[in-house]
Amino acid sequence: MKSLLLSAAMVAATLSPALAQDPAALSDLEMAHVAYTADNIDIRQAHLALAISDNPEVRAFAETMLRDHTAVNEQALALLQKLGAAPEDNFLSQALNAGAEAIIDELASLRGAEFDRRYAENELAYHQTVNGVVGDAFIPNIENAEVKALFEAGLEIFKAHEGHAEMMVKAVAP
Amino acid sequence: MRLTRRGTLRGAVGAALAALMAGRADAHAGLIHGHGQKAHRHLVHDVDIRAFRFQPARVAVRVGDTLRFANRDLAPHSATAGDGSWDTGLLNRGETADIEVTEGFAGAYICAFHPHMKGEVGFGA
Repeated sequence: MKSLLLSAAMVAATLSPALAQDPAALSDLEMAHVAYTADNIDIRQAHLALAISDNPEVRAFAETMLRDHTAVNEQALALLQKLGAAPEDNFLSQALNAGAEAIIDELASLRGAEFDRRYAENELAYHQTVNGVVGDAFIPNIENAEVKALFEAGLEIFKAHEGHAEMMVKAVAP
Repeated sequence: MRLTRRGTLRGAVGAALAALMAGRADAHAGLIHGHGQKAHRHLVHDVDIRAFRFQPARVAVRVGDTLRFANRDLAPHSATAGDGSWDTGLLNRGETADIEVTEGFAGAYICAFHPHMKGEVGFGA
C-alpha cells in the first residue's frame, strides 16, 4: 500500500505542474490529443508487461489494455476524420509523455514479482489520475456532442480498468 | 383469424426470421421443435452487453434454448462460462453470438476480458 501511495503521488507530481495550467481550459481537439496520448502510453506499458511478466493476471490485464485502448483509439480517429479535425498537442499531453518515459524506464529495469507489483500499482494510479481529469475537467467542458459522447464511453471503459487494476494489485500483493 | 398448426408454425418461424433480420435486441423468437412426443418451445434469450454489464444479469432458460449475446459497448467483450465449458469468443461492438443451452450447462459466466462482469443463467423458465 505504501508503494501504491507513492505511485499515485508520483503520477500526481508528474501532472501537478501541468494541472496548474488548468486542463479544463483545453479545447476539444487538445483534450482529444490528451486522450490519444494517454491511450498510447497505456498500450506501450501493456506491451512491456507482455514482454516481461509471466504472471497470468498481469498478462490478462495487459491484453485487455491493448484490446480496449486500441478500440477507443480507432473510434477516436474515426470521429476526428469524420469531423475533419486533427488532435492538437498541448502541455498536458507533454506532461503525460514525460511522466510515462520515467515510469517505462523504471518498469523496464524490473523483473518477476517486483515488476508485477510495480506495473499493477502504476496502472491503478494512472487510471485513477486520468479518470479524475477526464471526468472532472474534460467531460463537463467538451463542446462537440460527439466528442463528448466518445469521452463518456471512454471513461466508462477506463473506470472498468481502474476496478480491474485494483483486483490485479490485490492478486500480485506479496 | 384462424390459423392452422402449419400456419402457426410458419408464423412463428417467420416472426423469428424477421426478428433476426431486424437484429432486434429485445426479440424473443419462439421456434417450435416437435419431436413426436412433447413439443418444446425453444426460446432465444437476448443478453445485451452494455456499460460493462450483462443485461439482464440473470436469465432463466431451458435446455434447447439459445442465449444471444450482443455487444453494445465500445470495448470488446466475451461471455465465457466460469468453468470454461462455453464461450462466445471475442465480440467487437455490434457483434452477436448464439450459445445453445445444453444438458449440464454451466450457469455462471463472466467476460473473460473484464472479469468483474458477471452473469448467470438459471434453469426453470
